[in-house]
Amino acid sequence: MNIISVGVNHKTAPIEIRERISLSEVQNKEFITDLISSGLAHEAMVISTCNRTELYVVPAMHEVTGEYLKEYIIAYKDARKEVRPEHFFSRFYCGTARHLFEVSSAIDSLILGEGQILGQVKEAYRIAAEVQAAGILLTRLCHTAFSVAKKVKTKTKIMEGAVSVSYAAVELAQKIFSNLSMKKILLIGAGETGELAAKHMYQKNARNIVITNRTLSKAESLAEALGTKKVLPFESYKDYLHEFDIIITAVSTKEYILRETEMHQTMMKRRLKPVIILDLGLPRNVDPDISKLQNMFLKDIDALKHIIDKNLERRSAELPKVNAIIEEELIAFGQWINTLKVRPTIVDLQSKFIEIKEKELERYRYKVSEDELARMEHLTDRILKKILHHPIKMLKAPIDTANNIPSRVNLVRNVFDLEEPNQQH
Amino acid sequence: MNNILYNNLPLLILTQVVSMLYVVTTFHYGIHFFREKENAKNYKQPLLALTVLTHVVYLGLLTSLEGYKLSYSTVNLMSMVALTLAITYVFIEFTTKSDKTGFFVLAFAAGAQLLSSFLTAQMPSAGPTFSGLSIGVHLIASIFGFSAIAIAGLYSIIYLLLFRQIQRNKFELLFQRLPNLEVLEKLTMHAVAFGFIFLSITLFAGMIEQKASSGTVTLIEPKLITLVIIWILYGASIFVKPLIGWDLKHMAYLFIFLFVFVTLLIMLMALFSPTFHRLSL
Repeated sequence: MNIISVGVNHKTAPIEIRERISLSEVQNKEFITDLISSGLAHEAMVISTCNRTELYVVPAMHEVTGEYLKEYIIAYKDARKEVRPEHFFSRFYCGTARHLFEVSSAIDSLILGEGQILGQVKEAYRIAAEVQAAGILLTRLCHTAFSVAKKVKTKTKIMEGAVSVSYAAVELAQKIFSNLSMKKILLIGAGETGELAAKHMYQKNARNIVITNRTLSKAESLAEALGTKKVLPFESYKDYLHEFDIIITAVSTKEYILRETEMHQTMMKRRLKPVIILDLGLPRNVDPDISKLQNMFLKDIDALKHIIDKNLERRSAELPKVNAIIEEELIAFGQWINTLKVRPTIVDLQSKFIEIKEKELERYRYKVSEDELARMEHLTDRILKKILHHPIKMLKAPIDTANNIPSRVNLVRNVFDLEEPNQQH
Repeated sequence: MNNILYNNLPLLILTQVVSMLYVVTTFHYGIHFFREKENAKNYKQPLLALTVLTHVVYLGLLTSLEGYKLSYSTVNLMSMVALTLAITYVFIEFTTKSDKTGFFVLAFAAGAQLLSSFLTAQMPSAGPTFSGLSIGVHLIASIFGFSAIAIAGLYSIIYLLLFRQIQRNKFELLFQRLPNLEVLEKLTMHAVAFGFIFLSITLFAGMIEQKASSGTVTLIEPKLITLVIIWILYGASIFVKPLIGWDLKHMAYLFIFLFVFVTLLIMLMALFSPTFHRLSL
């Protein structure tokens, strides 16, 4: 009984290899169904995201090894020219469990603590369950992984703090203003970066977002998408600068669109009420001298990256706590797997003693009254329970290493003369 | 020695217990702020409640020795300042749901209480005692007034620290843990407003008492003059913001200055004018 995982991810292979190996949902279903129906695996699951394609398999035969599965997936994707087995990692047994726990809790992700991976693992399990490729082992493994991820999320700060520039901009704004819903925000530029920043602001209850863009229709469609429906013509937005508490610039330009002199006048009109300018443009959109103005917080991408770096540092500092949670769950999972191995022996042991009891009672069935037989049966049950208590307790005791299991099982089987069990999954 | 506590061992022990509680509570708030330890987070609020409760019991027992009359001494005033700071902080934490500034306020309260219990052993007597509504209001309002000044000063310091960290792109511990600038500004301005109200009550109650004392308390007296100066400065500072248009950064410097100024004046007066408005009843 083994669980093997093989796969490519951002640690083992460059993006072109990861792209070559990735599986769509349809391919995913087809691939794991093939594995099961061809008798190679009892259970199978594939996690396929932009950063990883990982295969989790409970093999049905000894020949199915990590190397075998690597070749199998390369062949399935017809990628022998580009992809080599060296691009893959492979794990076995508890190594597989640890890896899935690390993946689910986002400590194996490209961006430490990112929030999407757990959903992707859940989706992979859903697909496996849908095609009936997730049996007792993968189900338990996945549910333990979900529980690990939940514990990590609630008991550590691995997912706290912004790790993208647009989100860091929101984090900074919230450190200056207490309630973004009360603030007026101007977004200059309706490109991808600006849109992302506006959406993050919107998620934090900012509703008064006005958009301006060289192409007015683009500003209008973004305003429509955000639900604000507020746009300003690009030619006249500077007349209204003093009304805004937060200004986000994200336009492609070689010249500064906001200069020190005009912002000085803006601040005078505002009676020096604080303003944040988040310059998300590259090259920069805003004259850096503006930062010298009183109560002006001008932050460019480099400044926001400082926030991201600090947040990543803090997330890294949480790794020991995450690893401790994983370790704890790994031990419990390992012990559960080990109990699977002793279960047939416990059943055989109980069956054997019940059989002896029934045979012996049968001999007295017509020699004693029904009441006496019932009492004898009750007495025998109690004796059996006491006799079996210790051997069952010994078999069920937490087993830390799989090596100890055969000796325990063999001891009990020899002492009680139990028949050899059938090899089952 | 005629020290009131030397004749009452349980009360003497309770003084030290109160001080220790302040230190332990401040330590827990500090550990939670700087290290984010879960245990400190769980224990700090019950500890603060216990500290305030024990302090109230202590002051109740202390005044019971003089028939529940307020006594005027530097030791008692410091202890009262510690208590009012702690109570004000409990109110702030309860209303703003933010426990991130507790360490800074409680550290000051703990300092005042430690100094009070240290000086308790040095003081020959508890000081003159007073009864009557106006004198009671005068004393209590002045203590709350000073606590408000202290809190405004402390929040101003915190505001400036956070302001500088953001300006200089130093997104360190204070950036992560402190409330945002707007909240700190509101807390500071609320403390200033309360401070002004309490100082006004102090003055008003003092004037009533002065009339009632038939001239026993003279108006040309350092404490009264100082109180009037502080009251004018504080009142003016409230109007500086809307009239001159000062931002909180500049206001913060003013509040820090006022806090230091008032603290120094109180310390100087405790040294050179230890009586209650030249009374020794």
